[in-house]
Amino acid sequence: MPKSRRFFSAQNRRELLLPAVFIAPALAVLLSLSIYPLIYSITISLQTETAAGVVWGVQNFARLFSDNFFWTAMAHTFVYAIAALTCEFLLGLGLALLLNAQIRGRGLFRASLLVPMMLPTVVVGVVWRLMLNPNFGAINGTLKRFGINTENLTWTASPKLAMLSVIAVDVWQWTPFVFLVLLAGLQAIPQEPYEAALIDGSSRWQTFWHVTLPLLKPSILIVLLLRTMDLLRVFDQIFILTEGGPGFATETISLYIYRTAFRFFDFGYAAAMSFVLLALTNVISAIYIKFLQAKEAN
Amino acid sequence: MRYQDAKSFRYILLLAALVFALAPVYWMLTISLKSEGDQFAMPPPWFVFTPTLEHYYDAFVTSGFGEYLLTSAIVAVTSTACALIIGTLAAYALARFELPWKLNPRLSLWILSTRMFPAIVTAVPLFLMMRDLRLLNTRASLIIVYTAFNLPFVVWMMRGFFADLPRDLEEAALVDGDSRLGALVRVVLPLVAPGLAATAVFCLIVSWNEFLFALVLTQTDAAMTLPVGIAGRVTQYEIKWGVMSAAAAVAIVPILVFALALQKYLVRGLSMGAVKG
Repeated sequence: MPKSRRFFSAQNRRELLLPAVFIAPALAVLLSLSIYPLIYSITISLQTETAAGVVWGVQNFARLFSDNFFWTAMAHTFVYAIAALTCEFLLGLGLALLLNAQIRGRGLFRASLLVPMMLPTVVVGVVWRLMLNPNFGAINGTLKRFGINTENLTWTASPKLAMLSVIAVDVWQWTPFVFLVLLAGLQAIPQEPYEAALIDGSSRWQTFWHVTLPLLKPSILIVLLLRTMDLLRVFDQIFILTEGGPGFATETISLYIYRTAFRFFDFGYAAAMSFVLLALTNVISAIYIKFLQAKEAN
Repeated sequence: MRYQDAKSFRYILLLAALVFALAPVYWMLTISLKSEGDQFAMPPPWFVFTPTLEHYYDAFVTSGFGEYLLTSAIVAVTSTACALIIGTLAAYALARFELPWKLNPRLSLWILSTRMFPAIVTAVPLFLMMRDLRLLNTRASLIIVYTAFNLPFVVWMMRGFFADLPRDLEEAALVDGDSRLGALVRVVLPLVAPGLAATAVFCLIVSWNEFLFALVLTQTDAAMTLPVGIAGRVTQYEIKWGVMSAAAAVAIVPILVFALALQKYLVRGLSMGAVKG
């Protein structure tokens, strides 16, 4: 047996002691603050308070099916996630392709484009409340200067434009992230396939479609996975920008759970809804990971 | 000629993206520096106005944002330190020791999966747990929760950095009579110091920016973080735009400093180590 293997392998109990001591604190923290809360949450979700006391059962889950607010919030979440993901991906890919070339000031462009995604989401909310304010906001003010009638453009206060506004803010904040990961992916692609494509006389479009995209696929899948997870659970920006309003127009599932738990203090129902969200994100991430593994196996 | 056109087109597109990314932040900074008269002027003055620091004074001296700032700093630094110590030990064990029953990949994946829970899923039970422990409205509650939140990230990042190091160095230290812990502290940690620093900065940013847990767990002035303090003013009936912008501007400063220091590791950190950019 080579020496290095003996040093790092744990063949008997004594050699297991050190790694066990190293890992134990992390396991303790995660078990008590991630796993125990989940179990606790399951028990809460199975309890309903009635006049006669606490009743156990699946009432909270049954209630989901007849709760129109829940399904509306679900629909909003999907509209938000799909629209934002599409825009962020296309814009981020475009920017990455633009910057994946020899141009002057590339470092400066890259660093400045990253500003939005580093900001605290609360600050993003403040920034865009200032931009979109119908009375003194920069957007309407600038439109007015060009002689455009802004009377109906109340953005986050308008039932019709509110969803569009919060999606646009997400795109503003997170396109840089997609751009950054895809740019890193592009720069990791070796030159040889491009030279081969050039010799074969492929057009730029063919090269992009048959060389760049397939080689970029792992980066694309990772960035789509991370964005999808974040979009489905979106809370902060919408809470600051509209608090789910006007009315219910921008209420996503996380906001509805928050409202149920911390405004109406119905923790059982909130816990039940949160498990639907958890199941949803798990299924979707599992699908992405299947694709990723299929790619790695090739 | 056509090549030149394409090149300038590329620059025009990039400039447009740049303006789009930065103008809103600049606009907020101007609001924080404008007197009330200038704030509501129409058309809005983008460049020409008389700057004043009154909102900064108002926010941090009279309106209590100084205390939120202090809480944010204490919570971010303490929770980052805890997560780093606990996480680095676990990462070292997972990267360097062969555990039985394929525990290395299994444990690593399990640890990662705890980070994938949507925050709202754990926010409800954590609120009830902290209420039972009488820790609501304390900085301790946030430190505890942020430590657990950052831990999977630290484990994954540091596991990657340890795996990048050749094993010979530790073996040499061991032959020289060092204990394994001694080899970790004296030989390995200095070599992964840049990675450790990058991981720390990421944890600081995440804790500094975090909003949902802070909102749920702290509602008093003494325990509130800066994001919660700012959000509280936004949703009030009459909003003091200047004060809010001044507080938001100050909240950005450490983040920008950190981000500049991080450039090299940004992609790797943001993708939980999945992309080594």
